[in-house]
Formats: sequence, structure tokens, C-alpha cells
Amino acid sequence: MKTARDLLRVAVTGLYARKVRTLLLLLGPMIGVAAIIAAVGLTDSAKGDLKAKVNQLGTNLIEVAASSSFGSKDPTLPEDVIPRAENVLTLKSVAQIRELSNIVVTPYNEATDKYEAVPIPVLASDTRLPSVLEVKLISGRWLNGFDDSTVTRSAVIGIGLARQFSYLPGEVRTIELDGIRYGVVGVLSEVELEPSFDNAVFISFPSAKADFVTTAKESDKVLPNKLYVRSVVGAEKITAEALRVAINLGGQDELTTDIKSEALQLAAQSDQQIKLIVVSMGILASIVGGVGIANVMSISVIQRSAEIGIRRALGHTRSIIASQFLLEALFIGLLGGICGVVLGILSIFVGATIAGWVFVLAPWLIPAGIALAMVISVIAGLYPSVRAARLEPLETLRLG
Amino acid sequence: MLAEPHSEQVGVEPLLELDTVSRVYGTGDATVYALRDVSLRIMPGDFVSIVGPSGSGKSTMLGLLGCLDIPTSGTIIVGGKTVTGLDDAERTEVRGRTIGFVFQQFHLIPHLDAVGNVETALLYRGLSRAERRLRAMNALESVGLGLRQDHRPVQLSGGEQQRVALARALVTEPKILLADEPTGALDSQNAEKVMELLTNLQSPERAVVIVTHAADVADAAYRKVSMRDGRIVSDVTRVR
Repeated sequence: MKTARDLLRVAVTGLYARKVRTLLLLLGPMIGVAAIIAAVGLTDSAKGDLKAKVNQLGTNLIEVAASSSFGSKDPTLPEDVIPRAENVLTLKSVAQIRELSNIVVTPYNEATDKYEAVPIPVLASDTRLPSVLEVKLISGRWLNGFDDSTVTRSAVIGIGLARQFSYLPGEVRTIELDGIRYGVVGVLSEVELEPSFDNAVFISFPSAKADFVTTAKESDKVLPNKLYVRSVVGAEKITAEALRVAINLGGQDELTTDIKSEALQLAAQSDQQIKLIVVSMGILASIVGGVGIANVMSISVIQRSAEIGIRRALGHTRSIIASQFLLEALFIGLLGGICGVVLGILSIFVGATIAGWVFVLAPWLIPAGIALAMVISVIAGLYPSVRAARLEPLETLRLG
Repeated sequence: MLAEPHSEQVGVEPLLELDTVSRVYGTGDATVYALRDVSLRIMPGDFVSIVGPSGSGKSTMLGLLGCLDIPTSGTIIVGGKTVTGLDDAERTEVRGRTIGFVFQQFHLIPHLDAVGNVETALLYRGLSRAERRLRAMNALESVGLGLRQDHRPVQLSGGEQQRVALARALVTEPKILLADEPTGALDSQNAEKVMELLTNLQSPERAVVIVTHAADVADAAYRKVSMRDGRIVSDVTRVR
């Protein structure tokens, strides 16, 4: 224990006494680590805003849509699709909608001529949709059980539509669907994973059945044609796979699944090739730095041979001498690593600020960078340390 | 009162004993006998000079006496312990415990101050920093350099450097002090001072061994071992 403390003190004193040499030794691992940190950090930061969005939106939203085989129109999902979907164990929550077609939406009856040309989607939705999409309402409320049971003509509109129709938040307004007046009870905020919802009108399934049953093919039911599912994070693919089986139950109807955040995730992915190239260069720089350490320390061993000789004469063993040099290398690695990490972080910060990126740095890079510098320095210090330990005191002391 | 050598006394163990020791360098035609069947006993209280022309084997002798080298044949016993046959680490331990060195070129560590150099001899011995510093300061004071403790070697004169080296050799309280041409790099005034210190260091328990080719240095010792061609040609003890 005391020996370790003595070793430590001697190593620090030695490094401090030869400041310039120590600084030169530091440069190698420092530049290498800085290059690696900056490379990873800058390539990550370039997509930092997208990465942040992915994190915010979550990666586990799956869309399940009915798709029919060739020819048939208006494919739908079975009536009991929700209980079927809930059989999938990795499913966290689910909501269903039905896209209704050919409904003319206008802010008020007189505006028909003006708005008829622009088709606005009208969706029958269940009460759970906002919670599954993890989207809040700008104002008002979402469709609820009361709307369902009383078949009230309530509608929620997307934020885009609210802007288009100049609806103010909290304002009591109505909207005409094929001339039938619905009360707007809420405005849904932006749905980033499903941008088409921003311009949509949402009504309850019972209202859709009551008012627009003629547009739906089924005689007595408005069947859903889309599900939105949140799965357990990380299990998106197998959930999508399982949903297809669970809903279809081997039937001939087809359905498609789509992991909504997949495209966004792809876009947010850092350019792996550039990252790989720059990281390789950083590792190369570290290795060159290591070679530099081996060189300078080897020369240092020759320069300090008299010191090594006298230490051996004074009773310091070979292992003490070797440990001494290895410890110096370890310290150089530690200091170089820390300086490199700081320099790397500074580079990312400056680079990201100039380019207007979001600063991103994976925290594990900090200990990893320091560890890399230490490992390389110790490996580089091995040969000089062994050489120092092998010096014969009699040869270095030039007796007589 | 100066102590007498105990070489002839019964029951006193020699501090250091060379028994028919040879040291050979090279092989085949290039074989050189640096030492040939040399036997020597250093007793407590000895003040020995080992003299001889260059090539007589005195440096080889110093290396062997200081456990810095191992003989080709023969036995070396230090403080009752046979060191021939010990491994390097064990020999280093014996050396650090028993022997103090002074060299012609001082061999101080340039980046350490005087007290730091003396402390180097006390490293890795389980001492606290304060204790080490105290003992180093005491040793420096005993050679008259207490006030120059924070001077680095380049800031000290040759004589002062050699006295720091002397303090470094003494601080471990060695039984044997081995000096290799201790005055070789010094002017006569400093040489005198160093010789005076060396003379005073000799005690009933300790032996001082000086390897030199300077006649005046050799004459200061009570016992003079003369060497030529790897053999001891005379071993004279004079009583003061």
C-alpha cells in the first residue's frame, strides 16, 4: 500500500519535473481521443434535431391498415379487431379509426362552393386515439363515451383545419359535414407521426353510422379500417408481425403494418460511413500517439539510465523500476485522455454552433475515450518499462 | 577514539566475505579474467581502501562487493547471508538494506532537490512521507548541507553534490559504505572535506570501503588492499 503510494508520488514528481516532455507525450493520445470524440459527436450532432424528435415521439407506434386483395373496394378490419389485437402480449395500447369518404366539409353552409373542391378527410374514431398517438388537444376535449352513447354530433378537428377555418381556441363553433351541422368540441394538436390528421375531422363511430351509413357499404356497422398500436419499446417488429396473425386469424383478408417512426429513425441515423472513417482516423492517430510514447519513453530510458542505475543500487527492484515507467505511461494516458475528451467536446460544441446543429454526445464516449488513451499509453509504455527494468546498474553507473 | 579493525578477533562475523571469487567476461579466446580466485573479508569497523592500476579488477571488485554483480565462481556472503544464488530481487533487497554507495560522478537525480535525492534511498520501505523527510534532513545536516535541502544538483558545487550523495548513502544506515573514487571529480579542498566525512563515518559497527587509484586517498584508510591483474597482491593493516 505504501509502496503503491510511493510509486504514485515518484511518477507524478517525475512527470511534473519534465513538463515539456510530458506535454509532448500527452499530445498523441490527446489528439487521437479528441478526433474520435469530435467525429462521433459531430456526425451525431448533424442529425441531432431529428434524433431529439425520434426520442420525443417514440419509436413504437404501429399502424395496421386493412388492405384487400385485388379488386375489392373499401377494405375493412373485422368488428372484433380490438380484442383480437389485444391478444398480442407486446401491445401496450390500441385505437381504431375508419376513414369515411366523399364527405364535403365546410365551416358553415354558405361556404360550400368555396370549400367543396378541397377534400377534407373525415374519420370515425374511438375514444382512445389521442392517448395512443400521445398527442394532446390544443383546446376543448376529445370524443368521449357520452358522445358514443348519445350519438351526439360532436367533432374534433385537426390544428391545420382549425387554422384554415380560422377557429380560435376555445371558440364555440360548428362545422358542416355534408351539410349536417356538428359542434366542434376540441382541436387536436399537431400529430407529427400522422401529418394527415392535422387537416382531419374526427367524429364518433355511432355518429358516423347514424349520419353517413349510406357512404359505408355495411348495412348495420361502420367497421374500422385502421388501427394505431403502441407496442413495448424494442418489440415493434415482432408486434407488427404478431398483429397480422392475431387480427387475420388465418383468414384471407390482408392487412399491412407500418412502424410509423421507421422513416424518421432512418433519417435521424448518423452517416455511419463518415463516422467510421473519422473514428478509424482517430484510432490511427491514437496508435501513432502510442508509437510516439514508446519512442519518447525509450529515449527517456536511455537518458535516465544513470538514474535507473542509482535507483537499483539504492535497493529499488526491477519490478519497482518497471512499475515506475508503466505508471508514468498510465498517467500520460489518463491526462491525455482527459485533455482529448475536453478538446473533443469543445470541437463538437464549436462545430455544432457554427453549423447550427443540436449538440449531441453519447455520454459513454467520455469514459471510453479516456480508457482508450490509457490502454494505448500503457501498451506503448510496456517495452520501455521492460527495457528500463532490464538495465544492469553496473553498466549504467560507469564505475572507477 | 578511532575504532580498531576486528579482523583477528574471534566470534565477530565479517560484514562481507568473498571466498575464492572469480569473475570472467566473455567466452572462448576472448575470455578475460577480471578477478581470479580472490578471497577477502570486510570486518565491522574496517576502513579499507582497494587500490590498483586501471584494469587491475577493482571496479569488478566493487560491483561484486556491492551485490551489483554476481561472480562466475566462488561465494559472496553479506551479513551472514550467501548472496550468490539469490535472485535479482533478493539481492536488491540485501543491497538496499546493507550497503550504501558513493560514486565518482555523484549520480544525483537532476530533477530532484537535495532532500529529494536523499529521500530516494528511503522509498518503497514502508516509511511515511514525514518520517522519510525527517531522516533525509538529518542525513543532510550530518554532512553539513541542512540549509541547502531545496537546491537541485545543478545549483550545488561538486563537493556539495558529493556530500548529498554521501547523505543519500548514509540515510539507510548501511553496515557497509562503498565509495568508488569518491574524490575523483573534486578539487583538493572539497576532496579533503569528503575524505574527512568518510573517515568519520567509519564506526565499530560499520565498514567503509573506498576503491581508488589516488595514493593520498588510499593512505587515509587503515587497511589497504592492493590489486593487480585480478588478484590481491597485498592486504596491509596499519594500526593507528
